[in-house]
Parts: sequence; C-alpha cells; structure tokens
Amino acid sequence: MTDFDFIVIGGGHNGLTAAAWLAKAGRRVLVLEKRATLGGVAATEELVPGFHFNIGAPDARLLSPAVLDGLDLKKHGLEFIESEIAAFAPQADGRGLTLWNGAEKNASEISRFSKDDQAWKEYSRQTSRFAGVLAKMACLRPPTIKNNPLGLMLAWGRLALQVRALGGRDMMQFMRVLPMSGYQYLNEHFETEALKGLLSVPGVTGSTQGPRASGTGFMLFYQQMGAARQVSGGVGQVSAALAKAAQARGAQVRTSIGVKRILSERGRGIGVELDSGEQISAKAVLSNADPRTTFMDLLGAPQLEPRIVRRLRGLKLRGSTATVHLALSGLPDFPAAGGDQARLTGDIVICPSLDYAEKAFDDAKHGRISAYPILIARIPSLLDPRLAPTGQHTMSIIFRYAPYKLAESNWDAERERLGDLAVETMAKYAPNLKSLILNRRVITPLDYEREYGLAEGSEMHGQMGLDQLLLQRPVPGFVGYRSPVDGLYLCGAGAHPGGGVTGLPGLNAAKQALKEIR
Amino acid sequence: MAETKRYDAIVIGGGHNGLVNAAYLAKAGLSVLLLEQRPMVGGATVSEEIYPGFKFTVFSYVVSLLRPEIIRELELPRHGLAILPLESTITPLPGGDYIYRGTDPHETFRNIQRFSPRDAEAYREYGHAMYQMAKAVKYILSIRPPDPTSLHPRELMALLKLGKHFLNLDEQHMYTLAKLMTMSSADFLEEWFEFDPLVATLSASGIIGTFLGPRSPGSAYVLLHHYMGEIDGVFRAWGFAKGGTGGVAEAIASSAQELGVEIRTNAKVAKVATRNGRATGVVLENGDEFEAKQVVSSLDPKLTFLKLLDPKELPSDLVGSISKFETQGSSGKVNLALDALPDLACLPGEGVHLKGAISISPSVAYIERAYDQAKYGQFSEKPYIDIIIPSMIDPQMAPPGKHVMSCFVQYAPYHLRESDWEDQREAFGDAVVNTLSEYIPNLKNIILNRQVLSPWDIEQKIGLSGGNIFQGELSLSQLFFLRPSPGYAQYRTPIRGYYQCGSGTHPGGGITGAPGRLAAFEVLKDARK
Repeated sequence: MTDFDFIVIGGGHNGLTAAAWLAKAGRRVLVLEKRATLGGVAATEELVPGFHFNIGAPDARLLSPAVLDGLDLKKHGLEFIESEIAAFAPQADGRGLTLWNGAEKNASEISRFSKDDQAWKEYSRQTSRFAGVLAKMACLRPPTIKNNPLGLMLAWGRLALQVRALGGRDMMQFMRVLPMSGYQYLNEHFETEALKGLLSVPGVTGSTQGPRASGTGFMLFYQQMGAARQVSGGVGQVSAALAKAAQARGAQVRTSIGVKRILSERGRGIGVELDSGEQISAKAVLSNADPRTTFMDLLGAPQLEPRIVRRLRGLKLRGSTATVHLALSGLPDFPAAGGDQARLTGDIVICPSLDYAEKAFDDAKHGRISAYPILIARIPSLLDPRLAPTGQHTMSIIFRYAPYKLAESNWDAERERLGDLAVETMAKYAPNLKSLILNRRVITPLDYEREYGLAEGSEMHGQMGLDQLLLQRPVPGFVGYRSPVDGLYLCGAGAHPGGGVTGLPGLNAAKQALKEIR
Repeated sequence: MAETKRYDAIVIGGGHNGLVNAAYLAKAGLSVLLLEQRPMVGGATVSEEIYPGFKFTVFSYVVSLLRPEIIRELELPRHGLAILPLESTITPLPGGDYIYRGTDPHETFRNIQRFSPRDAEAYREYGHAMYQMAKAVKYILSIRPPDPTSLHPRELMALLKLGKHFLNLDEQHMYTLAKLMTMSSADFLEEWFEFDPLVATLSASGIIGTFLGPRSPGSAYVLLHHYMGEIDGVFRAWGFAKGGTGGVAEAIASSAQELGVEIRTNAKVAKVATRNGRATGVVLENGDEFEAKQVVSSLDPKLTFLKLLDPKELPSDLVGSISKFETQGSSGKVNLALDALPDLACLPGEGVHLKGAISISPSVAYIERAYDQAKYGQFSEKPYIDIIIPSMIDPQMAPPGKHVMSCFVQYAPYHLRESDWEDQREAFGDAVVNTLSEYIPNLKNIILNRQVLSPWDIEQKIGLSGGNIFQGELSLSQLFFLRPSPGYAQYRTPIRGYYQCGSGTHPGGGITGAPGRLAAFEVLKDARK
C-alpha cells in the first residue's frame, strides 16, 4: 500500500489544478510546495509591508472555463474584477492609444490615429475566430507522432473538422498565419505603428524572440483566448481557491517542504524523497516543476536514455522577463490618459512600434539587457484598493527583454540598474512617477530561478516558440504529459498547451493520469 | 503592322523554369512559343560577358538542385550540360585560421578535429542525418500540392498519400523533420555542434535568399531546402555548370528547341489577353499579339497576377494575398574580373581550396549583426559572403592567368530606409570589397572590373519582384499548398487557360526546374480535356 495515490510536486496553479481534479475523482493526493506561499509565480506577496504584489503573472485572463467551473472555484472564493480597459499605450508625442475589452469603441479610437479602423474590424473578427480554435486545441492532449490511441485521433479529427468549418477561406488563412511572425501578420493588417507595436507584445511573451520570429503570430492568438480581468485580492487568490477546492475533497497541501528527488524503480516513478530525507511513496508522481528541473535534477539524467537526455539539453528555456515592483505613495499621472484614471486599469504598455520591439530583442539576442525595453505595467490597486494602503498604489512593471544569460555582466550586478532603467523609461510617460516611489523590488530572471524554481527564469517552463509547441512540447518524444518514466507526469507549463494561468496542463495531466493509474 | 500567330501554348519568360515548362509541353506534342524580354534566355540563370574576355555568372552561380528526372527526360547532357564538382568550402576565421570541408571525409574530419573532436564526429552523423531528411522530403518536390480545403476525392486521396508517406518514416526522422520545419538553423545546428564558427558557416545555408537570420525560426527549413540537391545521383553535392549557370539554361533551351519550341528573345509581354475569363494569348509591349489556347507564366506571382492581368479580373481575396506575398529581396551580387588569382591570408597560394566555395561566415553573431542592419533598412557593412572563383573550375570563364570571382552577398534589403540603391550601389560594393580584403589581402590590387547588383538592380534587369531570388520568401506560410496563395497552389489561376510555373509556385526557388515540370503536367491534363 502506498502512502498516497498521487504526489504533486509544486503548488503552482497547475499543480493545484491537477491535485484538485485528482481529489475530485476520489484519489488520495498530496501536494508538496517548497515555498511558504502557494502559486509559484502566479502568487501575490506582501513584498513591502501593506503592499501586495502579483509576483509574476499579472492576471488570470487565460484561466480555462473547464478549470473554473469544473472545480467550482467561485464557490471556493475566487472572484474577478472585470476591467473595461484592455490596454493603454502612451506615445512619445503625448497621445495615448487605448483598447477596450471587446468594445465597439476601439475602431473609433484607432481612427484617431489612422484609417486602420476598418482593418481592425477584420483583424478582431479573425483573431477571435482563430483564438477559438486554439482554445479547443488547448484542452486536447497533443498527439504523438506515431501510434496514437483511436480516441485521441478522433478528438483531433473533430478539431480538424472544426478548422474546416471555418470555411475554405478562413481555414487556409488559419494555416497560413499560424506559423507567421507577428511582424508580418500585423503589417498585413495595419499601418499605425503605435497600434502594431502594442499588439505585437503578446506575441513575444514567454520567449526570447522578437516580433519578426515566425511563430510569434501563434502566441498572438494564444493570448487572445481570454479577456483581461483582474483577480480580486491578487492573482494568488486563484491558487488559494484551487488549494481550497483540493483540500475540500481531501487532498493534503503542505508548504515549505522541498522535494530532493523523484524516486523511481525499474523505469517507474514510485514516490519522492524530501529535503529532510523522508521518503513518501505513491502510485504516481505529477511534477509541476519545469521539464529541466523535473527530469535532469529531480529524476536525474542517469535514469534516462542518452537520446532523451540530448533532447532535454536542447530544451530552450531562455527566460528574459524581469519584473519591477513599485510601492507608490499615489497614482502616477500619465498625461496621455488625459486625466482619465480608468485608462490605467488595464495593461499600460510601452512599445511604440514594431521596430522598437525588434530592437529591444536585438539586445537580448546578443546577451544584453534591452536599452529601450518593452514595458507592460499594471496598477492592480486601482481596481482593488485592498492591495495597498489607502490612497497608495502598487505598480508592477514587466520588463522585456532581460536575458537570463548576460554576455558581459551578471544579474547581481545588473539588478538595480534594470530597476532604474524601467523607472526612467516609464517616467518619460508618467513624469511624477519617481517622486511617488516609496519602495522598489526588482525580480530578475535569476531571481525567478533562485526563488521560484523556474529554470533559467522561464515563466513558460520553456520558450513558447514554434519548435516547442504541440507535438514538440516540451521536447519531441514525450508529449502528452507522459514522461520516459512510467507513472511520472508533467503537469506544468512545460506541457501542452504551455504557459499562462490557464490551468490546462494541470487539468489535462490529471485526466491522463486518472486514465492510466488505477 | 502587328503580326498575329496562333500556338497551342505560350510560355512567358525564358528562365530555367519557363524553358523546362516549354520543353515538356512541346515534348507532349504541343506547338509552343516561348517569349523572353531579354536578348538571351536564362533569366537569373545566365552567364554574360560583362567585361571583355570575362564571363560572369551574373546572378545564380551554383547548381545542385536541378531535378535528375529533368536532366534525364530532357536529355540535358546531350545538349551540353556538364556539372563540374565544387571541391570544398573554406571558411576563413578572424585569427588567421580556417575551417576546411572538402570531398575527402578524412581530411574534413581532421580539420574539424583541430577545433573540436566532438564536432568532427558529429559532422559525419550530421551529414548522414541531413541526407536521410532530404530523402524523406524529396517526395514532396515531385508532387503537386494537394488542396486541403477541397473535398474532391482526388484531393483527399492526395492528402492521404502524403500522410502515408510521412507515417512510413522512422519516428526519429519524423521528429527531426518537425524540428527542421520549425527551428532556426543556428539552434538546430547547435544541437549537433559546439564550435561556433562551424555552426555559423553551416547555418549560412539556412539564410541564403531569405530575409531571415541564422537565429530566426524557419531558417532550418531553408537549410534542408538547400540539402535537397543531387548531382548525378549524389545527394547534397554542389556543382558549377560548365560555362556558368548560363550553361544550364542553354542546355535546356537547346533541348526545348529540338523538341520544337519556338524561342523569341527581345519579346517583352505586356499583357495576357483574356476573353470571358479565359486566356486567349498575349500582347507584347511592341504591340505584337500572339494567340494560344494556353498561356503559362514563369514570372513571379506579383507579375503573373497583378501586372500581366488586370487585377479587376481576379477575386479580391487573391489580389490581396498576392499583394501580401513576401518578395523583399535580401541578397546582392558582386562579380569581379581579376588580373590574378586571389590569395587567401589563411591559406596563401594556389590550391584546391580555390576550386570550391569561400564562405565569409566567421560566427553566428557576425551573421546576426549583418541581419540586424538589414532589418532596419541598411545593407550589412560586414556581410555574409559566399564566393566562388568560376575560372578555377572552368578555365574558359576568363582569359588565361586571369580570373572571375562571383560573390553572393547578404544582407542587402530591397528597401533601403534612408536612401536608394542607385545612390548606395557602389558603397555596398565597397563594403563587400573591404570585407573581403580582410581575408584576401591582394584583392584590391587585382580588380580589373566590378559589377555590383542590389536586389533593386536584379529587379530592373530580370524582372524579379523585390529582387527576390526565390520569387518569394521560402517561409512556412509561403510553402507547399500556400505557395503562392492558398487555393492557387496547383499551377492554375482563376483565368482558365492561364497557368503559373515559376519559383513562386511549389516547390520554390533554386535551379530545380521542378515548378516548370509540375506545371507542364497540369497544363497537359487540361489540354487533353
């Protein structure tokens, strides 16, 4: 008799989703989280007394309805605050470009800049159709290259029919644009640099690639799978609700317990050994850690075939995101918002053109921090005042690109310089920003690795590039949540469909494990 | 007085694909007229005596991809086609050393071993793996792309057959293929090799003719594309045609003429004549008219659809997608007439290394930096250069003791942001010569004549839109059933009796002849109806 049916390593949102789903099926589940806080990088922490920050993921816009409803998360305390504003992009000339969530207003807003308002209608029609297909794809276990079970083939067959149902024209477009670069896709639609720059940002999320890289078009649709909404109390509440859902069904969730290694016997995962030396057995182990940590560190290369080890070494993590958290004594004033505070409730994006984004990437490509970075900022305390003391605010600025591997320096030396650069850059659009800063915390890719266990600081557990998606995610040969070791499953963002607070890798992995482990 | 004459088929453009197409049509018994705007056939596949006594391979300069079935079926060797092997590739390195890869595998092994014993081993395996990959993909080069939107049994069968072909591959090969279709060439090569200059010089095949850097996803496919060549059945060997690449065009033209094709040069087509949605012939710029039941254009998609036709005759979707078809050229050409043999600093004197390619690709970062400049509308000041010395391979290319040097240069973007090519052409030529002089110290002293061609010049001279040598970028969204446009990848057009057969159609660019041949089969299918 094993101690548990399933052990889940890592209490990120995907690990907790998997645990809740397994517990819901009546299985005995144990979740082990190394940190004191659940959520991984989808956590909310009081970095400065009184100020609560979303450490990495700023929201849960991609959280799948299958997880939200399937686990009754609302019943377990999850609340959303809808935001009207999707993004606000202040420009150097003093103007600001605002995009609302699915609103008709966008066309007229864009017409202030150019004639792209007509193209916008076709663009939003097409992207939402394509995102719809991706959302379906995200819920399916990806096929392997050979020998797929009939049920899976049928499921993908159904999806292929849905793609066909887009109609000949859209179907061909879908196949044409999926591997495309965001650069090309946006240039095909628009002329306005401000608009193209803003829209290119989701395409380069989660990879060290510029908008000219093919496949960044895919990410553009991927990020469109959900609508911007803020989590009440901070994004960490998603994990809190998931933990409650899991515990309500009998799962045990233990924090501050590190796993030293995954125990395996004759090619089968059978349990874990804790940092304390204690061993816990289970019928199967699900790892929410990234693939490199899971297989190379926790399991160990000697347990794997050399061929598989070679593929794992080829895994491109390449984290290049840093976050600058600011505790502010008041609300920054963006003149481009014209005094309309509401415009600051979505993403505040500094990326004035496609070339700006590409040049930011050029620096990263050569191992340098972007001199002119892409910034994506949030002021969550605007919609959710509890996150900061009365009248004061939290601002988290995502900084791209901050390559994990610096060619001529190291992150301990560059941390505060990056913080200064982020603030200086943002202050060009919000002149009073500097005077409001009470405290600042910079999290570099190295910190994400050290503190949050993300290898190379990759928030997506592996770059979301064309070569690491679908049947190549995380690496060719063990897609579909399985691993080379029977009874060891991957349930984090390194598995299909990938990163973002979707819950889908966790859900899909749990379903797979339930099928195979009796 | 304008003349009018009737043919079964008219082929527009005498590039190698047009010639191949015409030859196959004539072989099937059609009366065929081929019209070429320039004084000689060949398109980008020409050799010209630009400077007295020196024959330049003006545009394309090496051969490898020409389909063996075309060589066989058109009996090209009998018509004078002779491919001379290129012996090697030498990559000079900044410190004065070099990487040498030649026909003798042991010598290559020893040379690479000096830098990395692991890479020397891997190099053998790599060659084998790419050979396997090219073999697996070769099938695609010989078929008409199926139309995945159609439910016609013929198309479904074609899709099924294609699926079966790939499912029959070994699992490892399928994974490697998936990688090649999605990765960057440098990333792909780094899974094999650790010595950066080796990665760099190999990755160069992934950027040639495209607007990509070695780290751009998609470039690994171009790497594979360049591996698909055969010479006399030997995979992935590159060669030089006797008489320059013009020798290829001349052989195909000779074969075509023997089969009955009438070739007219100095005949620039202005329009394709249509009546009731059907092509009826062509009108030349000089007003001459020719009638034909079938008209085939070997020009690039932009010219084929938007210039030779009135776009109003076409569905707006198609006009839109052809306008979006990426044709921005990225490479230029510098041809030099030399008074003496160039001397490599890293390996002075005459030697077999001068009978192969010389590649200026010292590091991945070097090529990436070259690409960075091109992205923002400048030519690379330190470009990637692929050099051959044709006169070392075929002495008839230059007077005795003298030489011609062909330099393929990247990057040279068609659109210059702050200037134009008429203004920048010579500055670009200087950048190339200066870069070369770092590796070939005597170069500046021996140049007798220099021809510099930017993408803009290539467009002016031979019509290629954007100066793109592949008639359109070889990117995933412009390949197979998407080339040149979804729904029109089977060589037909919305105008009945009007076809396309250039590199802008499947399987794309390079001197393959495959589009010309595959298109001919479609034309003949309809002709028999």
